[in-house]
Amino acid sequence: MVNVGVIGLGRMGMLHLMSCLNIDGVKVVAASDPSTKALKKARKLGVNVLYEDYRDLLSKNSEVDAVVISLPNFLHLESVRLALEAGLHVFIEKPLAKNVEECREIVRLVEKTGKKLTVGNVLRFEEGIIKMKETLNSGSIGSLEVVTLEEIINGPFSHPRNPAPVADWWFDPEKSGGGVLLDLGCHLIDLFRFFVGEECEVDFSSLEYFFNLPVEDGAIVMLRSSNSVRGIINVGWYQKTVYPQFDFNIMLHGNSGYLSINDFRPKNLYTYAVKEGTKNILRKLTKRKIRPLSYTYHYEGFYKELVSFFDCIRNDSAPAVSAIEGMKTIELIEQAYEYGNSKKRLASLV
Amino acid sequence: MNSFVSLVRVQNSDLGQSISKALDLASFKFPSSVKSVVIKPNLCYYWDAATGYTTDPRVVAAIIDCVREEYGKDVAIKVAEADASAMRTKYAFKVLGYEKMAQDKKVELFNLSEGELEEKTARVNNHQLQFKVNPLLLNADLFISVPKPKLMKIVKITCAMKNIFGCIGTPRKVIYHKHLNEAVVGINKILRPHLTIVDGLTALGRFPVKLNLLMAGTSTFSVDWVVSQMMGYNPSKVQFLKLSVAENIENPRNVVTRGENVAEFARIIPKEKFISTGFLWYLQFKMLGAYQKITGDIIPPVFQE
Repeated sequence: MVNVGVIGLGRMGMLHLMSCLNIDGVKVVAASDPSTKALKKARKLGVNVLYEDYRDLLSKNSEVDAVVISLPNFLHLESVRLALEAGLHVFIEKPLAKNVEECREIVRLVEKTGKKLTVGNVLRFEEGIIKMKETLNSGSIGSLEVVTLEEIINGPFSHPRNPAPVADWWFDPEKSGGGVLLDLGCHLIDLFRFFVGEECEVDFSSLEYFFNLPVEDGAIVMLRSSNSVRGIINVGWYQKTVYPQFDFNIMLHGNSGYLSINDFRPKNLYTYAVKEGTKNILRKLTKRKIRPLSYTYHYEGFYKELVSFFDCIRNDSAPAVSAIEGMKTIELIEQAYEYGNSKKRLASLV
Repeated sequence: MNSFVSLVRVQNSDLGQSISKALDLASFKFPSSVKSVVIKPNLCYYWDAATGYTTDPRVVAAIIDCVREEYGKDVAIKVAEADASAMRTKYAFKVLGYEKMAQDKKVELFNLSEGELEEKTARVNNHQLQFKVNPLLLNADLFISVPKPKLMKIVKITCAMKNIFGCIGTPRKVIYHKHLNEAVVGINKILRPHLTIVDGLTALGRFPVKLNLLMAGTSTFSVDWVVSQMMGYNPSKVQFLKLSVAENIENPRNVVTRGENVAEFARIIPKEKFISTGFLWYLQFKMLGAYQKITGDIIPPVFQE
């Protein structure tokens, strides 16, 4: 049994808490969040040891073996450091940290403590992406030449069923570390690295500020891998679409064919939800284990990434997205920021 | 007494000229000795004017020019909006281009949720409603509302009267949603803008549509009566308009349209079938709840109420 503490109970943290409660061989022994409302909800879900301050969870609770951290970016380094120093395994929501310097410190701590750390790059667990990677590896599109990855959503401007204002830290570069390039770019750059499997560098980057905020809300980045595969990343927070609408596209262009994520995803999410939901009802009625979140398609990855994290603790295997992997993605993001900002500086000089 | 509502098609992107024409057709006369002017756009969320959700800052800028033409450059103009359940005015002003417009036009941006708010009450349909209102709106010499014509699931259409609901200082206005029709009528009993200029450059039907239209009127009720026809609803069946008639806010027989023909715009608005949409939403969440009860599966927090 892995005893877990869940740190941060915002939208993502609450989803992680609910996922942990549904994973065999995992017991949620504590949770923390400064919000009383969130703690009440955690208690209702059956978590009895609750803390307002995550530092109390890490210092006062001796039962915990691992923590799942979903805190704002500016608290990633501090919380990970305290957790690793307390001898705990760590699942940290993406990005690993808000800059390379902080990532290096985390990598150093992981190596020093020998504990497992995995970064929540959930897209690696999406069924369509796994199938895409398998098809690519089978050689059916020949040698990979160009990858295009796009994700345009509403980001911090999303309007949930229960409306709540956006937290200020999102738009404070000191606290967030950046805008959409860090928030969504860290998913897509990680995926590019996942498909290519080689070292990469930034060829070009353009940062956009459609919303006049201190952080960018649009970015286009071109990458090149050491084996000359080029990647085009297009991310944005500027689109007013709500789930199940999802402006997310991946194309793999090979010299013998191409793959599109649309060929590997359900065509209609409503039909898919009904089909998967019915399967789960049948599983329940025949006393078999259900497939949590499968009816949502996209959200199932959140469950699977945690299962993978706990498996790597039990089996003493390598985590799916290690601290070094997380750092490499942030290195590319930092390169893209440098390129984009220097271009802006040049433009202002002209 | 007639209550005129004008409809003017914007020609050659000349907003200033179109506003002047709309005001003339609506028989609006600027009051004399005005020192303070408040302009209230509709910035319900962070979506750009092109989505049809929010008032275009270019329309507000043109209104500012119009006001200055009348009262001179020294008149104090404030562009005001209140925080909403999920929207923070400080970001909306920035994101939607109002900060830049305010700098260019040298006007002040004002958050109606900040400072001391006055408690006001109104009785509508046997409901006693309480509102917190910024005194700026109560004391303004000239209060201009600049709403957007939109379809909305709960009240069918939102425009002039609903934009006044947006003036309530309390950010969590979602608390009024249980009796939204009453609340819309109630706040319109308390706050009555001197002038309403509808930004119909883009309207929001089932999806956004470019209309290049400006409307003007002195009564929020009359403007909404016409907007309702334009959006494809019989105004006498729109609950908050029906309630307004019952509460003697205005008599629909007094509403007179001038300028362009409403029917021409009504033809191109993409209509929504709210009965089926509302029912499907309801059904979807009911089914999700039942599914969770049977299977014990997780419902992502973003879908939870």
